[in-house]
Amino acid sequence: MASDKLRVDALVVGGGIAGMQSALDLADQGYQVALVEKEASIGGKMIALSKVFPTLDCCSCITTPKMSAVAHHRNIHLLTYCEVQSIRENGGGFVAQVLKKPRYVNEDLCTGCRQCEYACPIDLPDPFDRGYGAHRAIRVPFSTAVPQIAVLDIENCLLCGKCEQVCPVSAVDFTQTPQQLEIEAGSIVLATGYEVTPRDAKKEYGGGKLPNVIDALFMERLLAPTGPYGHVLRPGDGKEPESIAYVQCAGSRDQTLGVPYCSRVCCMYAIKQAMLISGALPLADVTIYYMDIRTFGKGYEQFYQNAKAMGIEFVKGKVARITEDENQNPIVRVELIDEGSRVVERTHDLVVLSVGMLPRYNPQPLYGVPVADDGFVEVPSPNISPCVTDRPGIFVTGTAAGPMDIVDSIMTAGAAASEAAAYLRARKSASSVSTTTGKERELVYA
Amino acid sequence: MPETSEIRRQKDSQSNPQGEEIRIGVYTCHCGGNISDVVRCEKVAKVLSEMPNVVVSRTHMAMCSDAGQAMVEEDIRERGVNRVVIGACAPSLHEQTFRRTVARAGLNPYLYYHVCLREQDSWVSGGDCEGATEKAIRLMAAGIAKARHLKALDPIRLDAKQRALVIGGGVAGLRSAWDIARRGIQVTLIEKSPFLGGRMAQLETTFPAGETARELLHDLIERVLAHPNVTVHTRAELVGVRGYVGDFHVQIRRQSRGVSDDFAQAQAEAAIAACPVEVPDEFNYGLTTRKAIYRAYPGCTPATPAIDWENCTLCGKCLQVNGQGIDLENKPETFEINVGAVVVATGFRPYEPRQGEYGYGEFPEVVTLPQLIRLLALAGESEGLEWNGHPVRNIAMIHCVGSRQIEGIHEPQPDGQVNDYCSRVCCTATLHLANELRGRFPNVNVFDVYQDIRTYGRGHEDYYTQASANMVRFLRFHAEEPPEVVPAPDGDSCPVLVKIKDYLTWGEEIEVPVDLVVLAVGIMPRPIDDLIKMLKISPGTDRFLLEVHPKLRPVETAVPGIVLAGTAQGPMNIQESCAAASAAAAKVAVLLGQGLVELEPFVARVDPERCRGSGQCVEVCCYEDAISLQTFSVNGREVQRAVVTPANCTGCGACVSACPNRAIDVQGWTLEQYEAMVDAIAADLPASEVGV
Repeated sequence: MASDKLRVDALVVGGGIAGMQSALDLADQGYQVALVEKEASIGGKMIALSKVFPTLDCCSCITTPKMSAVAHHRNIHLLTYCEVQSIRENGGGFVAQVLKKPRYVNEDLCTGCRQCEYACPIDLPDPFDRGYGAHRAIRVPFSTAVPQIAVLDIENCLLCGKCEQVCPVSAVDFTQTPQQLEIEAGSIVLATGYEVTPRDAKKEYGGGKLPNVIDALFMERLLAPTGPYGHVLRPGDGKEPESIAYVQCAGSRDQTLGVPYCSRVCCMYAIKQAMLISGALPLADVTIYYMDIRTFGKGYEQFYQNAKAMGIEFVKGKVARITEDENQNPIVRVELIDEGSRVVERTHDLVVLSVGMLPRYNPQPLYGVPVADDGFVEVPSPNISPCVTDRPGIFVTGTAAGPMDIVDSIMTAGAAASEAAAYLRARKSASSVSTTTGKERELVYA
Repeated sequence: MPETSEIRRQKDSQSNPQGEEIRIGVYTCHCGGNISDVVRCEKVAKVLSEMPNVVVSRTHMAMCSDAGQAMVEEDIRERGVNRVVIGACAPSLHEQTFRRTVARAGLNPYLYYHVCLREQDSWVSGGDCEGATEKAIRLMAAGIAKARHLKALDPIRLDAKQRALVIGGGVAGLRSAWDIARRGIQVTLIEKSPFLGGRMAQLETTFPAGETARELLHDLIERVLAHPNVTVHTRAELVGVRGYVGDFHVQIRRQSRGVSDDFAQAQAEAAIAACPVEVPDEFNYGLTTRKAIYRAYPGCTPATPAIDWENCTLCGKCLQVNGQGIDLENKPETFEINVGAVVVATGFRPYEPRQGEYGYGEFPEVVTLPQLIRLLALAGESEGLEWNGHPVRNIAMIHCVGSRQIEGIHEPQPDGQVNDYCSRVCCTATLHLANELRGRFPNVNVFDVYQDIRTYGRGHEDYYTQASANMVRFLRFHAEEPPEVVPAPDGDSCPVLVKIKDYLTWGEEIEVPVDLVVLAVGIMPRPIDDLIKMLKISPGTDRFLLEVHPKLRPVETAVPGIVLAGTAQGPMNIQESCAAASAAAAKVAVLLGQGLVELEPFVARVDPERCRGSGQCVEVCCYEDAISLQTFSVNGREVQRAVVTPANCTGCGACVSACPNRAIDVQGWTLEQYEAMVDAIAADLPASEVGV
């Protein structure tokens, strides 16, 4: 295995919005940054969303420029499809062993023309569309992916060679092997993000078996212009839903799932989706079943009031159970707290579970950074130093440190960049080692 | 085709004076359907491809994507494109993106023109495909016409002063100052009051970790004061600003403290005791009084007392204790410093309920949550809780006072507005206190009167769970039917009743007799109108300071070099204020860390050949030092000519319209360019083009 070396000031782990913003805030200050992303494209969860609350900006319109800025920044070394495998300390800094997974496509040659994708005969569930759409075994991860380089899923490849035949630049390379890369970094920013509650987590809600009970991330894809159906349809039978229900706290504030905390974003994204549905399906009725509406951010309460004025129905009551009728229409059993606490069963065409945020990655084994009881990275002094972990030189940003929305992720990304910059400076003045310059870096990483 | 167009066509297709052939690349973006659902992008591209100087005309699903940008770069490199026009979203979103694209391919970034086809066309055309497509062609044709007249420009580069000003000595200002200082940039922090710490100093234990507020704060203050890059001025206010990012000249007015720093502790106590003046103590929200020579609280920073000039009667009693070190004459001084960036961390004030709102000001038993925090601190270790001379056994805490107000239901404030926002911190703060009450005074019953419990933050939900376990009784009201606070009938054991229609018990009307009503008041920005004017920043409709983009750029303002930290921008808790403050520090480091700032070159430029020195431009200019008349020698004769200081010019164009000789143009937006655009937009479309 060939081994490359890269020396940088900061290693940012994770290429979602928090990681990208942290990398940019450091790189714009002149620091050399390596951004490591395990997927084949940066963009994280945000790039798959439809629009953002409360501005209703098109999500890809505001995420792609960040992705592009990261990819083209002269101080950022973007390493996609790479995973950190080990970390050791080295004179106050860190040395990361990084595995560069084989794409089976030569990165320098691929132009992202997608000819391989069109030629490939294998269709697989596309995780970008929550498994509802399909992608080929070889493909550019999604239309706005950065970098625009194809990646081959060798596990599901027939080795038929069609992609190799059509590639105009002969970039397909079945002989690629994993590469090792060593990154020396003065500090580390963890931006490893979150996962959502699995759709089958709650057996009371059908355990993932009811076809017309979907999670909110899939609704994001249905509402996105690049979504799998190009329209809001229910997956069970392709029918256009006339009555859509949101079940709030489907995976948050729920002791039975071991998730006692609030996921912060679900109220707002449900309201946002309800508004977007009102635009996409003007005749559809949308109901939101909630425990408390938590629209706490700047402009959020006003957004909620607008949604109420638009005719979106808000019903206070925790949904107890979801079943379905003979036509696969989901039936929601709920106590109507505002109507004398009557227990009713209401039938809808489509139910969206407002799933919560779960920790995605435990950095303890690799980075020696402990997590708290909730599974998110522990922050010993949350009030004054919200991005400082238990280990000097390692900082945390975004949802790795607990549920938060995009704007709060961007705030903590800036804060983590500030912490890392101050740490690097203190370290520099403590030792006589100068920070790396662009030139030095090129010598090391040829 | 009319003759004039034909002539223009011939003229346009000629080479420009430098002999370089103009080769325009035109791109029509689908914007993922945002444009292409209404505008026939392919048709637009085809029509444009036939226009003079256009060498490539393409469409793309998302021009801003890497693939879209790569296409432009390739056309510049491979096909000799030397002017680029992209029709896409609003320029505020992606003009900069595409300038960078063009620059990467080696072209001057100002040889790019951005046409807005989304906000100005597809989004506002109501599905009129024909009309929207024709409009797109016209808008793009105007862009192409402008592109023919584009000239390479260079950004204005200025040295950046390696110093930042932080306005506000609360936790956000302190945290920001510390981060900037640690980054190697000098910081001057000014605080209006005589003491540091802001609102956080008035808190006791904090959520979510149970830390003591003043311990956290003192630790931070110590670090800030110990840092060699930090200068702190208390009792100091901003009184004037001129300049621009990288080079602001700020005037600061500092009032005397009245007491010198070497004044000994023991003497200070005696001097304070000697003062006969008693005024409500703002630190305890008026629950106690303080003297006119005072400290904010025991252990405050600076430890030296200060004279309250507004309330001091100059009686001289403090001088009699020990005159050394006390000077009863306020000698405010004004000085100027030069900074590259400004952090606005002016903080918040608690909402002050109006007279009679939930009985506030009417019944002594109604207090605010900040007052209760001070009350509990003053109560110390006492066994029972007392208020107004009576033991307190039942407390009602009412949420959303001065928050989530609805026009027509809540009475507007003096400025005619209601606070229609959520104040974010009050729910957790209220439950935190409810738990403390139940813990310290197990015999006190707590009734929590709410609409929605918003314990959203990490660890916050635990306070709600605990409160339920602690037997805090929850009552839920609807915004349209707010609870009422009324006097209890004579003979009742409690002085007031809280009447509420409780939706947790089937909408029943419930009367809760209580000894104390606590109003969980919201967060409002401090009144800083003067500062807003001086800095030329703007408040939003909620009166908090406005950021560039509430999602993507939450700490920057529309004025380059001025950033926001903490609750000046919106309700936040301590943790969020600190994150915002550090993020603001990162932006300052980005601006100043490189020692250089770049400004857009879209500023006025005077053609000295045409200028006759009429001075009309100087008269209409609204900006300080942006344009002036200077004396030049022409053929041995002294003449006056207008000269622009680019860094102070905003490119507003007032001088352009005032100039009688057409001697002034705004670079990048010249009259010649405008005329070409107007001609193109109004030109007849050929029959084939109309038949879209």
